[in-house]
Amino acid sequence: MGSRRPDTPSLVAGLAIVVFGAVLLLDHTGALDLRFSAFAPLVCALIGAILLASGLVRRD
Amino acid sequence: MVAGVCAGIAEYFGIDPVIVRVVAVGLVFAAGAGLLAYVAAWLLVPDRDDDPGVRPGRTATVVGAVALVAAFVSLSSVWRGNFGGWHWTGPFVSLVFIGLAGLGIWYLASGEAPSAGGARDVLRRAGFGLALLAVCAILALGGAWATAAGGGAIVAGAVIVAGVWLVAAAFVGGARWLILPALALALPAGVVSAANVSVDGGVGDREYRPLAANQVRDAYRLGMGRLVVDLRDADLPVGDHRMKVDLGVGQAVLVVPRDVCVASAAHVGAGQVAVLGRGSGGVDVDWQDDRRARAGTTRLVVDGDIGVGELAVTYEDPDTFEQGHGRRAAPGNAACIGGSRG
Repeated sequence: MGSRRPDTPSLVAGLAIVVFGAVLLLDHTGALDLRFSAFAPLVCALIGAILLASGLVRRD
Repeated sequence: MVAGVCAGIAEYFGIDPVIVRVVAVGLVFAAGAGLLAYVAAWLLVPDRDDDPGVRPGRTATVVGAVALVAAFVSLSSVWRGNFGGWHWTGPFVSLVFIGLAGLGIWYLASGEAPSAGGARDVLRRAGFGLALLAVCAILALGGAWATAAGGGAIVAGAVIVAGVWLVAAAFVGGARWLILPALALALPAGVVSAANVSVDGGVGDREYRPLAANQVRDAYRLGMGRLVVDLRDADLPVGDHRMKVDLGVGQAVLVVPRDVCVASAAHVGAGQVAVLGRGSGGVDVDWQDDRRARAGTTRLVVDGDIGVGELAVTYEDPDTFEQGHGRRAAPGNAACIGGSRG
């Protein structure tokens, strides 16, 4: 019985989105103060990670 | 034209290449959209002899790497505490956003390499893409509005749930279609949070013209719209008067008499501050203009909190005052020690 390999783009995107959601939650609760100077590179990293994960998977 | 993109598109759809070239040239004049699309197609569409499974993956790798480099460069300015770095990183990152958005929709919505297909397949894909974009638009607007209305925790929770769903689905085959809606929900909510936008104060235009000092409030608040506070007839007595101005999105205009010294401090998520001919603009603007009044004069101490928009202090009539005009106006604040030089 072979084990299925996880879908890398979904996995990476999911983890990145969980982190992003956690940052939003922390900002809303006042634990941190989210500003554009941190938000913009965070978005870049989020989208970059997703595209990297998609690109590293060879399309069948 | 250069890389055979137009000919390739024409062949794909089975139409005359001249038609595609004419459309492409026309799009160049549409704010350069044609150029961006041409470059994107050049990068994305595989060469005729290429293995169609290789080129898109390599392109995504390059684009992802560029995005991470942009993120690193931008974060480095934050680590150094040099927010002034946004004078160049801001536009650069914005361009990266635009490029990534276009490429991301391609990869995430289609999930497949470019391939030939019949008219029915093309229509099916177009319909799916439009429906997905409509759902994303609804999620984006809904998430942004809910966050601005105080439901940020709920939206953040929904984003986390979507992420957890994606992680779980990755082990049972994946759910890549969910990536785009999750981003559509998360990113606008993030913009609203970063700008600290709140619509609690209501939506619309508000104009206040107090006719006596006791009618002047300590705080004026508006969620979205234009807020005008005209103090020219308030006849403020000598001494300090503190005023808080809280605006989510829009323009706040304070009209003051010429014999009042104005000291101001403000935070603007994205936009500008213009106080009697002086000001600053951009993202994450922290404005501080501490002034002392001459003896026997009135000092107005303004504390502004603007999400997206402008905080302006002027002598002009608010009906004739236009957005952005405040920073171009002649320096004022002559009632302060040092006058316009501060």
